Amino acid sequence: MTTTPGPHAVPQVAMSSTSTLVTRTGSWKYQMPAYHDRVAPCNARCPVGIDIEGYMNLLREGRVDEARDLLLTENPLPAVTGRVCHHPCENACNRHALDGAVAIHAVERMLGDLAHQRPAPVVRGTPRAERVAVVGSGPAGLACGYHLARLGYGVTIFESADAAGGMLRLGIPEYRLRRDVLDRDIARVAAHGVEIKCGVRVGTDIAWSELTKSFNAVCISTGAHTSRALGVPGEDLAGVRPGLAFLREVNSGKRPALGQRVLVVGGGNTAMDCARSAMRLGAKVTVAYRRTREQMPAIKEEIEDAMREGAEFVFLANPLSFNETNGRVSAMVCERMALGEPDASGRRRPVPTGEQFTLEADTVLTAIGESSALQNFFPDVEGSDSGLRVDALGGTTRDLLYASGDVTDLERTVADALGAGKRAAIGIDRHLRHHHGDTAELNALRFAEGNLSAARWSGRDPIRRTAPLNTVVKPDDLNFTQFRRVERHADPHLPSDLAAQGFDEVNAGLSAADAMDEAQRCLNCGVCTECDVCLIFCPDAAITHAEGGAYVVAMDYCKGCGICAAECPRGAITMTQDRP
Amino acid sequence: MKKVMVGNHAVAWGVRLARVEVISAYPITPQTQVVEKLSEMCADGTLPARFIKVESEHSAMAAVIGASATGVRTFTASSSHGLLYMHEMLHWAGGARLPIVMVDVNRAVGAPWNIWTDQNDSLSQRDTGWVQLYCEHNQEVVDTTVMAFKLAEALDVPVMLMLDGFYLSHTAEPVDIPDQEMVDRFLPKREAPYRLDTEHPHAFGGLVKPDAYMEMRWLQQEALNHVPETLAAIEKDWQRMFGRSYGAIEAYRAQDAELLLVTSGTVTSTARAVVDARRAQGEKIGVLKVKMFRPFPSALLRDALRGVPRVAVLDRNVSPGHGGIFAEELRSALYDLPDAERPELFGFVLGLGGRDITPAVIDDVIAQTRAGQVPSREDLWVGVNP
Repeated sequence: MTTTPGPHAVPQVAMSSTSTLVTRTGSWKYQMPAYHDRVAPCNARCPVGIDIEGYMNLLREGRVDEARDLLLTENPLPAVTGRVCHHPCENACNRHALDGAVAIHAVERMLGDLAHQRPAPVVRGTPRAERVAVVGSGPAGLACGYHLARLGYGVTIFESADAAGGMLRLGIPEYRLRRDVLDRDIARVAAHGVEIKCGVRVGTDIAWSELTKSFNAVCISTGAHTSRALGVPGEDLAGVRPGLAFLREVNSGKRPALGQRVLVVGGGNTAMDCARSAMRLGAKVTVAYRRTREQMPAIKEEIEDAMREGAEFVFLANPLSFNETNGRVSAMVCERMALGEPDASGRRRPVPTGEQFTLEADTVLTAIGESSALQNFFPDVEGSDSGLRVDALGGTTRDLLYASGDVTDLERTVADALGAGKRAAIGIDRHLRHHHGDTAELNALRFAEGNLSAARWSGRDPIRRTAPLNTVVKPDDLNFTQFRRVERHADPHLPSDLAAQGFDEVNAGLSAADAMDEAQRCLNCGVCTECDVCLIFCPDAAITHAEGGAYVVAMDYCKGCGICAAECPRGAITMTQDRP
Repeated sequence: MKKVMVGNHAVAWGVRLARVEVISAYPITPQTQVVEKLSEMCADGTLPARFIKVESEHSAMAAVIGASATGVRTFTASSSHGLLYMHEMLHWAGGARLPIVMVDVNRAVGAPWNIWTDQNDSLSQRDTGWVQLYCEHNQEVVDTTVMAFKLAEALDVPVMLMLDGFYLSHTAEPVDIPDQEMVDRFLPKREAPYRLDTEHPHAFGGLVKPDAYMEMRWLQQEALNHVPETLAAIEKDWQRMFGRSYGAIEAYRAQDAELLLVTSGTVTSTARAVVDARRAQGEKIGVLKVKMFRPFPSALLRDALRGVPRVAVLDRNVSPGHGGIFAEELRSALYDLPDAERPELFGFVLGLGGRDITPAVIDDVIAQTRAGQVPSREDLWVGVNP
């Protein structure tokens, strides 16, 4: 080897002689990362305003009791909604874009049932002198009373029926909602000090004016119990009856005679409840609906269950009149419809084709919608055929008179009723405390455009989100490559032949272990779970653990490359244009 | 402990015995079993290493470069186009003096597409600063994998091991697995002279001006110059502890040979069988196996071939426009010998793209070598019918 080393000794590798800390690469940046928790779509879309992502996050850490308590902060009846809610949260779930929505309803049901076995401590605010009357003990009335009680008010709920629950008890069949489950959820409301007076019909047994005199505020939550009429000839024939009245009988333990063939008219949840209940009484059931399956307003699972249990569906069938035999209905004459342009609801409007056909029936159950038919004892309260008009906090046009649930002109679901009851409670509390915050204050109680948070209103929100941004996380904001595909657990059902024979609960629910697995599937959209992905990916090692949790970015060295934000699995890091 | 295993699994066992800490690799036929076995070992905990999944071989090499810079023991494996895709990073690993060990399962390069063996993939990486060792059988694979780490870490140079695709990678043979405790004594935890450390951050591989670049290249050259003696010392230790050794080159029945077959890889075993048969008939013929191609063991080869009348080089590779690559380099190594001691050298290009090199083919090579009057500067392509 003739080569000789150069004039000065060199190291084996090129290594800087000083620490790289002298090079403040942070001065290069024109944008910087910030940890901003955002809103998971489930939270934004929950009509109740439940912090779903929040309790999922607690479950992820195994903090089951705290998850239960957080759920109960917003929802007085989780064992009920875990069974009967139409769960728009799941429709919104970003996990759809990966491998199927998280079975949120099953997790809620698990927590709701857990709250029966291991009751949560009763939460009462500082006792207040004011007393509030709630008329009606359906989900809206129970929610209103529950939240008021937790805010410290004395509450009396007046219920005209013999037992509390409203439509939950009278409208929803037992195979969907076990009565012991309903009873236990209602008992928890009562345990909060809410007095429930059953068998008292306001307007008959006690005057409305008496209520407004004896109580500081009144909330009307009487529901919508009148089936809408079809308005066609023959509707008054024997054998044609409102579906709601039929359900009310069945749910009170009666077993009315229906004949062999039952025709159900309508496509909503009442129609599905009628069809499935009639099948359980031995009838052969046909459902006639004037649009197609895609436009049916009923919960998807309810339609599927009705079909599985043997109900036949005739779509695009609009009732024209009824035929009779010996004064009793024998068939329904229908006109064949076709789908036209979308209507105000966004669904394609049925348009007549002129073609007629008949469907034979021994009994016809009508279920095309309900109206509240509330006698207007308050001439100064505005409303319409679709219900009382209320503001964002359940206030009617009359001072200290609130309304919530199906009696108003808002969405008619159990979840919407629970959410409306909560809004009315917050509205009443705000009014009685002469607290007049602005709109921004109310918006701070919402997950994006969602319902109000009782946790935030009461100042008892256990979830400390980092500088939250009130924007909803979309699938594009997530980094799905960081998540493993895990199949969604399907609810175990009774075999349909067995199910259709009685009123036993059809959906047995997930085991606690499977429900916990589902909770682990939650992506925690928009919320930092301290997963360390940002820390691992930062090319400048500028991200470190902060004392007491989460992360701190050394802005002197953060070049603003945005890799942390791009790699964050959950969209919890936002790049901002601001220089530090 | 004896086990029957294919060459690819022998690699994985060697990696496991060496207690590698970070593995990053991308699968490619015929290397895939290496990666699969290693990922299984990582998954079941028998090899407590971090396995980094990547989207390409370029990233695989980049990942082990980063990991190796922190001072841990690293491994990757590839083949053919995957190895070619790593090319830029191979230079970096060499220049950064990182003792990475990788396995290349030799596979021909496209076009046209081919998944069978030849050495063009690895030989086209000869100038990247990596040691290259070509293995003949699965015992040698396990042993050399472990020794490769010792060699790499002794001199801070990366080491590449080659297995013939399918002939070795997918052939099952009995393998004696060295005892882990003894391997731990043979190969202690790596101690890196320089370490990427976030507690004491320094920049690595930054700009070096012409006044020092050449010196650093010279240091790299010097390290590679020390590979043959270092490997010899390592093999001596291995021999003492495990009773086996191989050498950078190995002469087989070469004494008084009038003709030596120069081979690398699995064709060596075939050549051994042919030589045994010829020796039985009294022919003076032998084999010289060249295991180490980089650094090229010129001095060892000169000594081994000095005075041998005729040499036939079997090249399972070709440098297009020139000839067989082993023959080419060997001619250069023998140039220094005096005329009287310099063998007549015949180069043969054969077995490309996985074509079998059978005893009959080697018989043909021997016949051509015996018949050759003047060594040809152009290598003969064996069995080609264009």
